[in-house]
Amino acid sequence: MQDASTTPPDLKSMVKKLSAGASYRRMLAASEQGRPICVASAAVPVEVLYAMDVYPVFPESLAAIAAGIRKADEFFEAARERGFSNSVCSYTRCGLGIAWTQKSAFGPIPEPDLFITDVSVCCLHVTWWAYLEEHFKKPTFYMDMPATDDPWDPEYVAYYEEQIRAMVGFIEEHTGCRLHMDRLKEAVSNSDLAGLYWKKILELRRHKPSPVSFRNLAGEILPLVTALGEKDCADFYWALYEAYKQQAAQGYSPAQGGERFRLIWNGIPIWHHLQVINYFEEKGANFVWEPYTALSWGNKTPTGRLDPEEPFRTLAQKYTNILTNMPLHRRFQYFDQAIRDYQVDGLVMFSNRSCRPQSIGQDEVVEMVREIHGLPVLIFEGDQADAEGFSLQEAKTRIDGFLEILQSSKRG
Amino acid sequence: MDSEIQGQIMEKFRQGFLARHQACRQWKKSGRGVMGCFYGLVPREVVHAAGFLPVQLLEERDARLEDKARLLPFLCGMSKNITGQIYEGRYEYLDGILVGTVCDTNRHVLDIWAHRKVVPYLRLLRTPSKADHAAWKFYAADLRRLARELEQMGGQEVTEKRLWESIELYNQNRILMERFRSSRNTLGISAQDALYVLASSLVMPVENHNELLRSLLQTPARAWDKKSTGPGILICAMNLNMAWDIIRLVEEYGGRVVADDFTINARYGISLVPRQEDPFLALAIGYLRRVPAPGLYSFQERAESLAQQMNSSGAQGLIYLVQLYCDAYAMEYAVLKEKFDLWGIPHMRLEAEDNSASIQQLNVRVQSFLESLI
Repeated sequence: MQDASTTPPDLKSMVKKLSAGASYRRMLAASEQGRPICVASAAVPVEVLYAMDVYPVFPESLAAIAAGIRKADEFFEAARERGFSNSVCSYTRCGLGIAWTQKSAFGPIPEPDLFITDVSVCCLHVTWWAYLEEHFKKPTFYMDMPATDDPWDPEYVAYYEEQIRAMVGFIEEHTGCRLHMDRLKEAVSNSDLAGLYWKKILELRRHKPSPVSFRNLAGEILPLVTALGEKDCADFYWALYEAYKQQAAQGYSPAQGGERFRLIWNGIPIWHHLQVINYFEEKGANFVWEPYTALSWGNKTPTGRLDPEEPFRTLAQKYTNILTNMPLHRRFQYFDQAIRDYQVDGLVMFSNRSCRPQSIGQDEVVEMVREIHGLPVLIFEGDQADAEGFSLQEAKTRIDGFLEILQSSKRG
Repeated sequence: MDSEIQGQIMEKFRQGFLARHQACRQWKKSGRGVMGCFYGLVPREVVHAAGFLPVQLLEERDARLEDKARLLPFLCGMSKNITGQIYEGRYEYLDGILVGTVCDTNRHVLDIWAHRKVVPYLRLLRTPSKADHAAWKFYAADLRRLARELEQMGGQEVTEKRLWESIELYNQNRILMERFRSSRNTLGISAQDALYVLASSLVMPVENHNELLRSLLQTPARAWDKKSTGPGILICAMNLNMAWDIIRLVEEYGGRVVADDFTINARYGISLVPRQEDPFLALAIGYLRRVPAPGLYSFQERAESLAQQMNSSGAQGLIYLVQLYCDAYAMEYAVLKEKFDLWGIPHMRLEAEDNSASIQQLNVRVQSFLESLI
């Protein structure tokens, strides 16, 4: 915990430091300083990279940002020209387009020095990074995490811990950077604080009304990906928590006309049309829980905290805890708990063409939710980063219909 | 006379595949178990050593099956089709299903099957994507656990001796399959028939398949029944029914499929499980990154082996067939394409769903491709 007697940092200045644009500028600065640039996937233990002075670049984040500001088309086109089918994940296509064109939505990106991926999130990461390795001839490391339905098995966690140590060896071999345990402990400690405040922010959403907008949260999640392990990241979430706490005390709600409906969003945000979330808010509906924000990020250890004194073990426990590696009944337990804890009125299931692991099993979860809670559910199909075929107007029409059902179900 | 004998043997392969469900039910009547394998990364040797018949779950062309599966529309047809078959009861004889992860879809439909309790025993193999000492050790431990679980399900004890015997049988099958692949043109066996040899290997008892292969390889060489003198084609595919359709299209437009590359074939036919002190460790070494599954195998080696197959078979062009929404194949093609372009290998990607209408839409492209090779 931060010292309660100290004042939290100024949120505006922290936002400036950690915004998407700032993360781009920090990447350029890191490259100019001669820090190794590593193209990493989202579930790599990034704390280790920061502790070793390696600057990570995340294609998935760059893809989401590019989609969010509608600058992804040229990257998709680059993938199409190289024979990538449109059925392939849009993060992958966009991320590869970024790699080939050597630029992001903000401008040119420096040539990377090494690649590291983790196969925990999805199988495509192996192929994606194998392609990068093949194409760019750079040292590449694969964090192995075999599929399992028991991510808490000690033998499994131990195997992944071994992988983290091997990753350190790989970085030392290819960059000359050395791991100093005090730096790693510091990075884990910073990560722990960031995760702790993230959790506290999410818990503020239990308030009626919830002060948090999912639209804002979708952007505010970025430092958990791009800056985890840095003190600034922990400070940012501390400041953000304090701001939300204040708003909760004031009874603020992003839902216009007051919070009439409290909802769950299942899936990755629709980066190219975040207005969908705004539309819900315009109609008095607010999202109060999402597996994406609550279960994919933060301190996913049994205790909910990271232990800086056991950095390898604690990181292994955190990173092996993958939602999609759990049987459906366990995944449903999270929904069940959230529906009760957050007093949820309905579910919105984003059936994401690009993300099989997140989408498969949705229907079964819906069945269980309907059976136990009898809540209305809206399911709509789309893609997380590729806007092709998406109609905002059509989405609005379906949302209107859903809200009518919600309204009548509330009236009982 | 010789061609008659060969025809009789080929008919046994055909029946081995086509009558697989009946054969499995007969097997069950003898008091032994049947274990489904989804897809080819499941080490069948362990299943065999436990006294179960390992049977690959394979697609069946039937439009109703995908509807029955009630899975998301953007999932690969293979998973939907097999799920539909399971729900319809076509695999009611299975004692269990083992899943070896090759893609997100095959890994996660397991969650749904488990939720629906479709079989008494459903097991996700913890298959590493690497091949180093840590990965081998980890996987060997998981295979040992699998052996114990199969024993508890009523299988026989998986002793080291039994497991080595099973490994030996499957290694023989790999050797024989490789010999068949390299001699099928001189044996005068068509691409469509060759596919039955492969398909039956995935569902028949390995002892029977080895025996049939030996008999087939002993039949004398004979001239190909050449209806065509057009360009030779190497076909890369995974879905058997779609492959049969494409082979027919190629032949229809005057070409010949002189070589094939099926992931499931290559998986069992490329490298032998090595001799080690510990048979479980031997299997881990034999399977991890030794199977040409997209993303789990060196792209360079994969491309080189295809180029080598083109050379040895005399194929002038390569058709790479992707079943819609198969990420693994779609991604692999893009990687291989760079190398094919660099090496000047004429190639064409076809992407379709597993139904006649979808395949028929490809006929103009197949025709144009063949014409471009003349």
